[in-house]
Amino acid sequence: MLRATLRSLLARKLRLLLASFAVLLGVSFVSGAFVLTDSLGKVFDTLVSTVTSGTSVTVQGVASLGSNDAADREPVTQAVLDRVKAVDGVRDAVGNMSVQTQLVLPNGKVYGTGGPPTIGVTINPGSPQESLRLRSGKSPVGPDQVAVDAATGRDAHLALGDKVAILGKGIKHDATVVGFVGFASSDSFAGATLVAFDGPTSQVVLGTPDTWTNVTVAAASGVSDQQLRDRIIPVLPKGVEALTAKQSNAALSQQIRKAVSIFNLVLQVFAGIALFVGMFLIFNTFSMLIAQRTRELALMRALGASRGQVTRSVLLEALLVGLVSSVGGFLLGIGVAVGLKGLLGALGIDLPSGRTVIELRTFVVCLLVGVLVTCIAALIPARRASSVAPVQAMRESGPAEDRSLGRRAIAGGVLLLLGVLALVAGLGGSGIALVGLGAAVSFVGVTVLSPLFARPIVGLLGQPFAKLGVPGVLGRGNAMRSPRRTSATAAALMVGLALVAAISTLGASVKKSVVHTVAVSFGADFVLHTEQFQPFSPAVAKGLEGKPALAAVAAFRQGNARVGKAGKVSVQGVNPTALTQVLTLDAVQGDLATLSQGELAVSQTEASNLGIKVGEQVPVEWARTGTHPVTVGTVYADNQFAGGYLVSDATYDANVTNRQLVVIAVKAAPGVALSAARAAITSALAGFPNLTVQDEAQFVKSQGNQIDTLLNIVMILLALSVLIAMLGIVNTLALSVVERTRELGLLRAVGLQRRQLRQMIYAESVVIAVYGAVLGIAIGLAFGYALTLALHDQGVTEFAVPVVRLALVLLVAAVGGILAAALPARRAARLNVLEAVSAA
Amino acid sequence: MVTHMRTSAPAVRAVDVRKSYGKGDTAVTALAGVTLDVPTGQLTAVMGPSGSGKSTLMHCLAGLDSIDSGQIEIAGTSVVGMKDKALTALRRDRVGFVFQQYNLLPTLTAQENITLPLDIAGTKPDADWMKVVVDAVGLSDRLQHRPSELSGGQQQRVACARALVTRPDVVFADEPTGNLDSRSGAEVLGFLQRSAREFGQTIVLVTHDPVAAAYADRVVFLADGLLVDEMSAPTAQSVLDRMKRFEAVA
Repeated sequence: MLRATLRSLLARKLRLLLASFAVLLGVSFVSGAFVLTDSLGKVFDTLVSTVTSGTSVTVQGVASLGSNDAADREPVTQAVLDRVKAVDGVRDAVGNMSVQTQLVLPNGKVYGTGGPPTIGVTINPGSPQESLRLRSGKSPVGPDQVAVDAATGRDAHLALGDKVAILGKGIKHDATVVGFVGFASSDSFAGATLVAFDGPTSQVVLGTPDTWTNVTVAAASGVSDQQLRDRIIPVLPKGVEALTAKQSNAALSQQIRKAVSIFNLVLQVFAGIALFVGMFLIFNTFSMLIAQRTRELALMRALGASRGQVTRSVLLEALLVGLVSSVGGFLLGIGVAVGLKGLLGALGIDLPSGRTVIELRTFVVCLLVGVLVTCIAALIPARRASSVAPVQAMRESGPAEDRSLGRRAIAGGVLLLLGVLALVAGLGGSGIALVGLGAAVSFVGVTVLSPLFARPIVGLLGQPFAKLGVPGVLGRGNAMRSPRRTSATAAALMVGLALVAAISTLGASVKKSVVHTVAVSFGADFVLHTEQFQPFSPAVAKGLEGKPALAAVAAFRQGNARVGKAGKVSVQGVNPTALTQVLTLDAVQGDLATLSQGELAVSQTEASNLGIKVGEQVPVEWARTGTHPVTVGTVYADNQFAGGYLVSDATYDANVTNRQLVVIAVKAAPGVALSAARAAITSALAGFPNLTVQDEAQFVKSQGNQIDTLLNIVMILLALSVLIAMLGIVNTLALSVVERTRELGLLRAVGLQRRQLRQMIYAESVVIAVYGAVLGIAIGLAFGYALTLALHDQGVTEFAVPVVRLALVLLVAAVGGILAAALPARRAARLNVLEAVSAA
Repeated sequence: MVTHMRTSAPAVRAVDVRKSYGKGDTAVTALAGVTLDVPTGQLTAVMGPSGSGKSTLMHCLAGLDSIDSGQIEIAGTSVVGMKDKALTALRRDRVGFVFQQYNLLPTLTAQENITLPLDIAGTKPDADWMKVVVDAVGLSDRLQHRPSELSGGQQQRVACARALVTRPDVVFADEPTGNLDSRSGAEVLGFLQRSAREFGQTIVLVTHDPVAAAYADRVVFLADGLLVDEMSAPTAQSVLDRMKRFEAVA
């Protein structure tokens, strides 16, 4: 039996090629994601240890609010640095700043918007803790000098002596580039732009004169890191901690690993979708091969092979296909990882070069996934093969079509119902994994049901082709003749396109919701913010306030606090008077005026989550000032711009160190033309090229653009699944051409031209592809609608159908159908008429 | 007996047709110089034992296979050296085929199968002629059925109707009754005979069955790639006797 399996596998190796290729592509994505993220993790680990190589102990603020977030650490004062310096066993201690900032190039443009962040740091030349090394020029000294990382220098074509500016916490700070720096192994910090100042300048530009982000300490010889830490701790005030290099590296590594593993998970989800689509391809290929081999299988049964043996022989075939594709996919994945890394490089994320990390785990997972996927997909065809009766060896009959429609309807219906239930439960809050499972089961359910209605729908979709002549009639007929095969082929495409349609629908709904929200809850004339809403200087607001053309300037700060049992939440601080002029904010209970008295305003949803009412007190913990009971002064109707929690700007500034702004909303004074108001704003922004001024329409549009960017990234990742589904169409057509050799010969004999024969196969292909797209769009719209319902609380209040994108999906499917048919059509047209007619 | 005569020229003419397969020592000669005129409006049977080259001859005459040397004309048009496109059009418009099996497309109804060559060419069937042909094969009540819903004999009659519907210069029927029981076979052969006699349809029938050959106006005998004899107004017995003589010689 083994020998027979191997023989049959070899005889059919070409026909299994495309199916193997589908698994191989899916597995290569799994492998690529692992290799890339493992390598990234390794690179970051190396980078972290490089950066801290001269440091024995780091002194920093304790992360408050129960987080490990750098934003929730208070800075360390100069007094702490002075005390640490005096500790016995300290060879050197220096203060460092590390703050997100923006770099203005000599041409006046802000560098690297939309890409990795720009970080302002302190350089302490000569100190053993300093890991920045000069690549050229000199170290910056004094307020007028800055050093930039060498990678940015190259990318932005900076030269020594160039005049640049840094947008930190205050006004624009002009400086001259005096040096280019890098780390031992890399010219940048994983793609981030670094601007380095000497100690005092970094404090002025990036923070407050008396504080540091952290203090790094080098031990005198003979003092271990642990000993030094033990000696430092007693001199530290409350809220400041000391970590050995090992501890801080471990914490940082863990944080990085976590981020990297989320990145890995995202890639794996798309690999999973691709493999799921690949399963349809495997299923279809094995089904068709078994249908074509009915007589051979019947003969084996007639010669005494048991049902079990037949099943096992098919599964063994699948196992071998799975093994070969997994190993191939694993190897290809190493290339995929390099490709992805190159892609990141092209996007400006310069990853320090490190060695490619291939863990044993990657190989094992690839092998398991590939083999399992193939075998599971081949299970039903294998069972079908075993049900071939020995007598069928003697009969002259084509592949049998469905016997029990009722059973199919029940099975498909149950699967679909279960899938939808799981999906609804998952969207209702039971977890994203359940959503995925529900979607997958729903897809299978629809695929099982699809043959029941494939014939009429395919017939309808093929109608335009049938009108074009005989090739169209025949192509349509071929697409209709085997609803099961057409359905399984179309289903693969359906999966990818349904996800595309769902995401597009969600995107359109979010956009519509933004328009709606802005119309309903926004009263400002202009919005000011930086690219990607990076924080900016409060000096911007100062420059606008008091301008006669402007009635209200609401500067929104945004920080973290822990509020009651809600845990860590985002709180906005804003001037209460300006607030009511720029937002249509309805107080459901209480009065927004109480904000001025230091009270808290809470949105209706958050208030009901917390179970608090106006007048009650709730404990609020701030990073700088600790926990205080605060009275809830107002509960307001949910408003996307106000968010969940509001305090006055005064309250905010009293409790939060970082006073940078995220957005400023401006209302023009009555009777002032909007153009005049805009001119007034623009004149005040001369020193802040990082800010853009948008009116309501521009703001809505820019929000839409951001959503589109995100959508497009998802589409690119889904393209792999669509590509695999297209391979499925190629596969089905190629197998059909083989199966219908005699028919094709007959058609040629009675006068069908080669061109017409090709047209026939194109028509079949396009009809199948469009059928898949129609199913996909229908399911996608349903999924999209479910998503908008689930995200209602997150502000997706409207539902919109992305007509243009969906039309595009149909078009892509049709074009894909034509491309998929190219090879099979060529092969069919090349058939020798005589051989085809007389093929046994 | 012949009621219509469209031209006096032969419908198919073959002159010294040679064809061999393979190369060098292993070359097998299939046709060793066949010269044959198929008269218009007659049913001509090509007889011969298996391996005699009769199927090869038919494939070459119909433009389905190439020849090494010689000349083949269909209604005065040389088919030797024709490009695929022209040859396909020739088969579509001027030649009809009935094969032993797999004659019909399973996705089309009987009617659609019959009009297939016309549909391919993009021409409308002549309604009167269509009715004549359909009535003659006795399928007027089964036209909307698909091949899977027809018996083997009915399927072959649909194939015959398809071969006739374009009024081709010649119909090639390759063992059309090979897969049928004798009664269905007789129906198909009777139809082919009437087509020649009543409609003047030129038909070339390739067969190894003396009973089938007896329906022909003329029988030509092929052996080892050569035309060895011919007979007019054959009967099953006379054909059988002639065949026996060949086999005795061989």
